[in-house]
Amino acid sequence: MTSTHLPLPPSLPQPAGVRERLVRQLTGLGGLEVRGGGATEGAVTIRMLAETLEEATHALAGTPGTRLADMFADNDGDATTLRLVWADESGYLLTETEIEGDDYPPLSDIAPAAFVEECEIYEQFGIRPATGKPLNRLMLPPHAGPDFPRLGHRPAQPLDEAHAPHTVGGQAFEFPFGPVRQVGVESLYYGLVTSGEEVVDLYLFTWHKHRGVERRLRGAKPRDAIFLAERVEGLSAVAVGWAFAAAAEAALGIAPPPEAARTRAVALELERLYNHAAATAALCQATGLTVGQSAAEIALERLLRVNAAAFGHRYLFGIVDTGGVGRAPDIGVLRRELPGAYGELRRVADALLTTNSFIDRLEATGILAAEQARRLGLVGPVARADGLALDARLNTHGPQGESAAGSPYTGHPVKIVTADGGDVFARFQVMLGETEESVRLIDELLDAGTAAGCTPLPPGGGHGLGWTESSRGEVLVWVALDEDGRITRARLRPGSVRNWRGFDDACRSQNVFTDIPIIEASFWLTVAGMAR
Amino acid sequence: MTPEQDEAEAARQVRERIAGQFGRSLHIRTLDTGSCAVCEQEIRLLTAPHYDLQRLGFFFTPAPRHADLLLVTGPMVRAFDVAARKTYEAMPGPKVVVATGACALGGVYRPDAFVHGEVSAVLPVDVWIPGCPPSPLALLQGLSVAVGRLTEKITGLTFTADNASSGGAG
Amino acid sequence: MPLWFARGLRRGVVTTRYPARPDSSSVFLPTPPAFRPGQLTRETADRIVAACPNTALRRQGDELVFDVGACTTCGRCAAAAPHAVTSSGEFELASTSRSALVKTIPIRGGLR
Repeated sequence: MTSTHLPLPPSLPQPAGVRERLVRQLTGLGGLEVRGGGATEGAVTIRMLAETLEEATHALAGTPGTRLADMFADNDGDATTLRLVWADESGYLLTETEIEGDDYPPLSDIAPAAFVEECEIYEQFGIRPATGKPLNRLMLPPHAGPDFPRLGHRPAQPLDEAHAPHTVGGQAFEFPFGPVRQVGVESLYYGLVTSGEEVVDLYLFTWHKHRGVERRLRGAKPRDAIFLAERVEGLSAVAVGWAFAAAAEAALGIAPPPEAARTRAVALELERLYNHAAATAALCQATGLTVGQSAAEIALERLLRVNAAAFGHRYLFGIVDTGGVGRAPDIGVLRRELPGAYGELRRVADALLTTNSFIDRLEATGILAAEQARRLGLVGPVARADGLALDARLNTHGPQGESAAGSPYTGHPVKIVTADGGDVFARFQVMLGETEESVRLIDELLDAGTAAGCTPLPPGGGHGLGWTESSRGEVLVWVALDEDGRITRARLRPGSVRNWRGFDDACRSQNVFTDIPIIEASFWLTVAGMAR
Repeated sequence: MTPEQDEAEAARQVRERIAGQFGRSLHIRTLDTGSCAVCEQEIRLLTAPHYDLQRLGFFFTPAPRHADLLLVTGPMVRAFDVAARKTYEAMPGPKVVVATGACALGGVYRPDAFVHGEVSAVLPVDVWIPGCPPSPLALLQGLSVAVGRLTEKITGLTFTADNASSGGAG
Repeated sequence: MPLWFARGLRRGVVTTRYPARPDSSSVFLPTPPAFRPGQLTRETADRIVAACPNTALRRQGDELVFDVGACTTCGRCAAAAPHAVTSSGEFELASTSRSALVKTIPIRGGLR
């Protein structure tokens, strides 16, 4: 278990590119062991002792281009294992640490991107950072007593009700809003602190929608679990379903047939297209431009009908399956109908970009500083609108090694769209740029060939990490399967989980109440993805 | 009367009452009890140009006080019970509750410590609309049935097909 | 604003006439299954029930009990027994009674 150096054991293939740098950052630290397990080239697992965790976190958080993508825990019998997922453009590094006792090093002091996860882990597993700083209630409702079902052990002390401390100076007051909000939107509770018009502070509660999906997946077989995984955040059904399937495939050491992998990628781009159209409609609604909203909704409806005609479901449910895809697209329909539907969206976008009354509401609204986006570990168009060029599609290392047979993006590189300024307008521009790239990518993938088909799942177990780039950002799924192939732990982390924590910052200071729906539309997250 | 006959009689009375009162203009309030967000997207499209529910005399209202019909999605997460009941009780009678989507009807989530599994565990449901998600057309049919404008088809469908032919319901 | 007005007029009307007239887009909507009683044996029925990732199907003696309300139209039952399951083509499923959404289908396959 302990070693003073980190030479990679000869049996493990040398990791490629920048990821090697990540692993090398940890050289010289004691208490490390590279796990031979996990067939995914794109993800390396390192087991480390608790004593090394703080130093390792410093090293990785301090490396430019590296970010903390997720943190979660697991209860295997009595011991609680803490897992961190670090990412850079070439791949993922998982660290695995057994925590004895009730606490672990204060990681969010080093990597602020870990704060929300620390709260969740305390709620579910009873272990907390050693500094004892206040942690917020996250998933479990206020009435959740000591016997309320958790993924692990209950915390020794009840959670604090405190949200992030803020100074309410002068005449500012707190204004609770929700969870039942305007018509046709998800339930969400905001605590709004205001001095009248300006947003002094904003905090969110999503526990009203917490369905306990990670707990429900325990004991399930992957094929049954994917049905629920798709419905964690239905607007990202392809992204979450694919990440889940990829995690199970990595755990079992298989890859989907290449044509099936390309089918997944086509479906994912169709999902990105309709989501960005829906976000455009929501932006128009939030700014009061009803004609724009109607025009965008016409485009959205056309895109959903393309999905139904090509793949049999408006929201692309039931396409991804473990080992591949259950359905192939109707290529004729797709080639015939998609250009017209996209053209509709493009014309709306062009008209919006020349409508000054609309653009004025977007510019300089909801500014999120690039440094803050980086510190909080944000993903997706929100991060890219701050100039951070991250996208899970860039990581093409699949489960079968160098040739990346599993990744459909090998040979079909994705152009990443970024913008500067971090305001609503920048996020809107990123989304528009991405729709153009999605249409181009779909065309290329159809040319290369798509088909239905699944690689059969072999018996046995293992653990693996899967990842996709949903319309709202990177989705990560980690699964552990026992020898019967049943799930012992499924970690589902849609993009919304990463990005809601940036929403409060984007809403503060210069913004007024009426800006909040505009900022919310520009983030285009879901409560369901957070409250799974 | 048998329980089935009781239920059918109650349903008939609901239909008559609704048709008499809401036939011309209906105000709808939506309620999300834990959905995956897709049902909400289909509901939002009801006001979009392709569907335009206002041409049928249906309107959305943000205020429960002005609403006649509560359109409910999601499997009724237990932590949401209080909010659900308060929304329902804030609506003055007469009122109709429509549960929409497989989650709200008892599919997808079996009851456990986190969810009831169906809307009818907490609210008295009058009309059920299946689907995952119910498309805007299915929602329009459901709302029209709820106000007595359309007769429901479901009682006549058997979901059987000929042994030889392909497609079609009995 | 004149730009939007002109665009709107040029775009024309896309509004459906549903429910007064059928809407052509409905043919692409996923619909619950329809079962062929003559192709259903107990084994086929059990295979169909096992394929459902949800609570929509169960077998009760020589009857297949199908809860349309719980059905998500995922299509796995049809994939598991394509000779016995087809698409119903029905999307107008609203009901004023929950029990009217639970259908029983006789298992008649393999009978002389």
